[in-house]
Order: sequence, then structure tokens, then C-alpha cells
Amino acid sequence: MTALIKSIREVPSIDYYTAGRRTCAGCGPAIGYRLLSKAAGPNTVFLGPTSCMYVANGHQFLTSPYAVPWYHTQLGGGGAAGTGTAAALRALMSKGKRKVEEVNVIVYGGDGGFADIGFAGLSMAMGYDYKRLLFVLNDNEAYANTGIQASSATPWGATTTFTPSGKVNQLGNLRMKKNVALTMAAHPGVKYVATATLFPPLDFMNKVRKALSSGGPSFIELLTPCPKGWFFDPKDTVDLAKLALETHAWVSWEYAEGRFSLSYRPRKPIPVSQYLGTQGRFAHLNETEIAEIQRMTDEEWGYWDKMDKLGQIVLPWVSSPNPAVTSLISP
Amino acid sequence: MSAQVTVPKTVTLHKKNVWTGTRAVAEAVKIADVDVIAAYPIRPYTGIMNDLAKMVADGQFKAEIIVADSEHSQFEIVKHASAVGARTFAGSSGVGLAYATEAIGVTALGQLPVVAVAGCRALDDPGNFGMEWNDVFLFRDLGWLVSWAKDPQEALDMTLVAYRVAEDKRVMLPHFVAMDGAALTHVSTPVDPPPKAGVAQFLPPYKPPYPLDPASGPISKAQHIAPSLIGPEQRKMVDVSMKESKEVIREAWKDYETYVGRKYPPFIEPTFMDDATIAMVTMGAYTKDAIYAARKMREKGIRAGVVRLRYWRPFPADELRAALEGIRGVGVLDFSYSMGSADFAGAFFTEVRSALYSLEERPPMVNFILAGGREPTVHQFEEAIAQVHQASKTGKAAKMVRWPTLRGEDV
Repeated sequence: MTALIKSIREVPSIDYYTAGRRTCAGCGPAIGYRLLSKAAGPNTVFLGPTSCMYVANGHQFLTSPYAVPWYHTQLGGGGAAGTGTAAALRALMSKGKRKVEEVNVIVYGGDGGFADIGFAGLSMAMGYDYKRLLFVLNDNEAYANTGIQASSATPWGATTTFTPSGKVNQLGNLRMKKNVALTMAAHPGVKYVATATLFPPLDFMNKVRKALSSGGPSFIELLTPCPKGWFFDPKDTVDLAKLALETHAWVSWEYAEGRFSLSYRPRKPIPVSQYLGTQGRFAHLNETEIAEIQRMTDEEWGYWDKMDKLGQIVLPWVSSPNPAVTSLISP
Repeated sequence: MSAQVTVPKTVTLHKKNVWTGTRAVAEAVKIADVDVIAAYPIRPYTGIMNDLAKMVADGQFKAEIIVADSEHSQFEIVKHASAVGARTFAGSSGVGLAYATEAIGVTALGQLPVVAVAGCRALDDPGNFGMEWNDVFLFRDLGWLVSWAKDPQEALDMTLVAYRVAEDKRVMLPHFVAMDGAALTHVSTPVDPPPKAGVAQFLPPYKPPYPLDPASGPISKAQHIAPSLIGPEQRKMVDVSMKESKEVIREAWKDYETYVGRKYPPFIEPTFMDDATIAMVTMGAYTKDAIYAARKMREKGIRAGVVRLRYWRPFPADELRAALEGIRGVGVLDFSYSMGSADFAGAFFTEVRSALYSLEERPPMVNFILAGGREPTVHQFEEAIAQVHQASKTGKAAKMVRWPTLRGEDV
């Protein structure tokens, strides 16, 4: 196994995701890509389903930020692209057509690409036995490059251009966020599934290394705050990632060889209103709605806490939002 | 009194395999030593994958077989495996091909030499196992080469030639081998697999020009572009590859004869055309029925010929014009429709007519649309020939578009 990184000083100084991109200031997915490429190293193929991380990374003037081989795949093609690439490498190696060595195949897809249109393909990939095949979902909780439309990973109550807050539906998004990582953990025999965010940086990088060395296809869901989609100051991206953990709005965990553990447990949880309050996508919420989010967050945390103690996954079932707070329902 | 028994002299027959079209293609994939195969079931092409899966399970050859979650994934898998440098195989039919359309399109624009079989099948709804060409025609504009096999032997040969043409550096485009559903996929005839040594010379291992592999250094493939920057040039590259493919196809079939010993005309197969006054234009497995009908009509004094296209893309327009030079009536046996098209004709007919427009003397043409999957009869083909003959005498078709297999009034 590639060694874990013990301190920030040990982080490789070489970037394989470099200049030549035109991502937004404070782009969470771009920060994630950089950490990912450092952790994975040079013997890597990157594959990019359509997303911000496609359109903004190699745009317009034939520039490319990738110092390792990279190929686009269609929005719903992430799982298949990773599988096809890994299958080709294994076939060529086993038939003596290519030198035998360890090559990482990493698909960096968005929540639209993995939670929605490419969900079935991702599930297919997790059923095979290709080693060093890693899927990283950079979860900015919306289709961002098309102009912030809701995906099935958009949180309850967020406004997006497809789930706007309006005069009849003041809440915005009425669906509860899908937990993609748990569905990946449900694949029998899966070696490694984790969640992470941009803070603390070593946590994500080490999860990448563990995933690649796990001996099978692996999956990491990385919460990547998006200044344009979430409406916050670009300088606050990493702080917001930290705040997500501190408020239990995001839970960082890993599931290795059937063993569950929490990776980050805030000393004293902060009310979720502080996380919501820094983001424009929640600015329309009233006190009742915020209280409802706090209730759901607490209810869910109970399960994560229990899982950590058990070392096993228990499905977190959260009772539906109180209909009284969704103003769509007429009295 | 004992009966005199004559024992017939023993005749040794050359041993042949009797294979369906799907089995014949599976043999070709094995002989081509394909590295990555992506499968998903849909009739009538599925048998190819059943056979390949068993061959790999039995250790007859080595390949990664991925059972995909959908046809879209199937074609994405082989696209990406091809980008790494593997020789790949996929296939589908009907709505399966429609489902994979996005992935099929990008494979051509990525200039990756994937080879796939399209087992022609009617599109839904309702579900229909009948044979139609509209599923394959979905991809007529995208940059896939398409050859159209007549029988299991040709399906095997065309698959090997498809790899050779697709992987040629002057082409680098994906390649469909189209097989008429049931009439070719499920019909068994004697097939001679080619000698291994000959194939080895004919089809060397695939060497990609720019493999997506860290061992070959960093490349970025298909990054998003500004349309004003290289948009038209990128389309032109595919256009040029398609144009170049015509010469490559001619060379390939010549080499196939040299190394494997079987000879085919590259683009057009004429039958009875030496003295023909009218011609039926066909593709695929029903050509043999058309030839049978033409032979019967010749007994009645109608000098009918049959012209079979072996390639749909690139469309052999020059060769077709040469084959039909001086012909006084043309019938097009067409298993496609194109709802609302010019004169409400079929897609195949429309393309043939477009190619013939530049002839000095344009013959009258009749389109026989065999849509919906109901099998045509030889009698219907004979009637079609009689109708083309009639048009050739008057210089004009009494009715240009006909639906011979339709019950009820052909309005």
C-alpha cells in the first residue's frame, strides 16, 4: 500500500492537476482535484464525466490542466469509462501486450453524473473486481456548470434554478438528499467506501490512498462547496467545508472491508443554522424550516453515532419533513 | 436368391462448420484476439455474446468480458478500452442501439476503432422482433463505417475486415457490421473459418497512435472546446477519414483474398447485370430472395439484375452509378422508413436516389418499403420486379413508393 501522509509537510509538492484551467475563484471541486492528484501520483489515468470539472478544466484554447492522461466521458458514462479503462489495462497486461504494473484509474464525476444519470453505471462498476479503480464524486449538490439545477444530491430546502423558492412553494427543493456513498457501500464485497470534504486535507488524501490500495473498485464522496451555486464568499470554501462537519450537515466516514468508522467527530456540534446562514441558497428559509433541518440533522446524527460505536452500517432513516412547514401543502 | 446390392462409392466431403450468423461473428472475434468485450442482451444480436462468453469461460481465448448495466455503458466501456489500446467488441439491436446513441456518437468523433455488430431489428413501440434497418440508420451520419453482410460466412469475413479497416491509421473510425435480424443472425449455413496464419498476416495486433496510458505520457483527449476554434476542422477530420476509408476498404478486401483466400467485390455485388435492363438494389440477407425472384422473372423474359451494396458507410455512390449505367428501371428493396421524407419514401431509397441524381439519364425508380418486420415473400419480390419492368417500359413509375408487405390499401 502507498504510504499514508502523516503531516502536511509530507504532501508531495508535485501537482498533476495544474494551471491551464478556468475554474471559478474558490472552486471546491478544483481544490479537491488538486488534493486527489497529489495523493494518487503520476501513474494515473483520470476520466472526467461532463461537469464543471469538464467544462471549466480544459476549455476554449485547447489548454489542459492534466499532467497525466485524461479523457472526457459522457455525463452518464463515468462508471463505464472507469470499467472500460481498467478492463483494457488488465487485458493488455494479462495478455502480455503491456508491461505489468499498478496503474490508477480515477473517475472524478459530479453529483449529477454519479447520483443521477450515471448511477446505474457506477453501480455496475462497483460489482466488478478491478483493482486501483476509484470513483470520486465531487459533490457540490447541484448541476453547477449548467447554471445550478437541483440533482438528487441537493439538500432539502435549497434553492436552485429548477427548485426555486416561490410564492406558492417558498421552500425550494422538496426532495431529501440522496446518500450515494451508502448505496455504494451496499454492494456485496465492496472493499472501500468513504465520504470526505476539503477539511482536513490529509483526511481526503489518505482516503484516496487507502481506496487505491484496497484491492477492488472504491468510492469516495467528497463534499465540495461551490461559491457560485451555494452563494458564499469564494474565500470561505474550506471554512465552509469545516463548518459542514462541525454542524453535522456533512458526516465524514469510511467503510473498509465491512468495518465502519467515523473520521471526524466534532467536539461540540454547532447549530446547523450557522452553516445555512453563510449560504445564499438557504437565505429564504424561515425559522420553522431551519428548525426542521436541525431536527432532521440531529435525527440522522443519532444513526452515525450508533454506527461508529457498532463499527457497522445501519441505514439512517429520517422521518419526512413536517408537511406543515412545506407551504406547498394547502391547509 | 439374393438381391444385388450396389454399395455407393464413399464420397469425402470437405468438413464444414454449420454456423448461425451470430456464431460466425463470435468466431471472428475470437480469431481477431479481441481484448475487451462489453455485453448487454437484446434480440437478435445476443447470440454472439452468449458464444463469446462461453469461449472465454472455456479458455478458448483471453478477453475481459463486461456485462454492462445498459447499452449506453456497453458502448462507453469499449470506447474507453479502445482509447487505452485494447481491441474491442460490442453490439446491439433495435432500441438497444437507440439507447446507446450518445456513446456510439462520441466513439466516432473520438476516432476510436471499436467494432460492433448491429443485429437489425424493428424499433419499439410496440416491441417487435421483426427486421428493419432504422436502428442502424440512426448512425448513418455520425462517422461509423457500416458494412452489411449477406450470410454467416460473409459476416465472419466482414468482422475481420472491419478491424483491419477501422484500425488503419488513415481511417481510425469505429465500424458496424450490420446483420439482418433472424434472416442472418439466426440462419445456419456452412462456414469456413479462415486459416490462423493467414489472419495473423492480414490483421496485425492493434497499435494505437496515442494510447491513454501513463506509460505513453500525458495526453488530454476530448477537452471542451470553443466552437470557433477547431469545431469545423474536427468534423472535417472525420469526413476525410471516411473518404480515405474507401481506398483502405479496397486494399483490405484484396489482401483478404491474398492471405485468407476468399474473394469478394469490395463495395458492390452485381448479379445477372451483364445483360440486365432493370435492376433491384438491395443490402443484406434478403438479396438471395431477390436473386431467386430475378431468376424466375428471367424465365418470363424480363431481364432483371440485382445490385447488392456491401457498404452503407461509406456509401459507394460511384460504384453504384457505374453498376447502374444504362439501366432503364431501378427498384429499391428497402427495409427502412423515413416518415415525412421527400415523397414519403424510405431512407435507403432516398440515399440511392440521391446518388443516381448525377446520372446523365436517370432511370425511373420504385421504392419497395418492407417496414414493420413482416417477412416479404418471393412472390412479392417477383411482383416488384414486374412493376419496375413496367416503369422501364413507360419511362415513369405508376406509383413510386409501394409497401408490398402491407395488408389493406396502400394509401
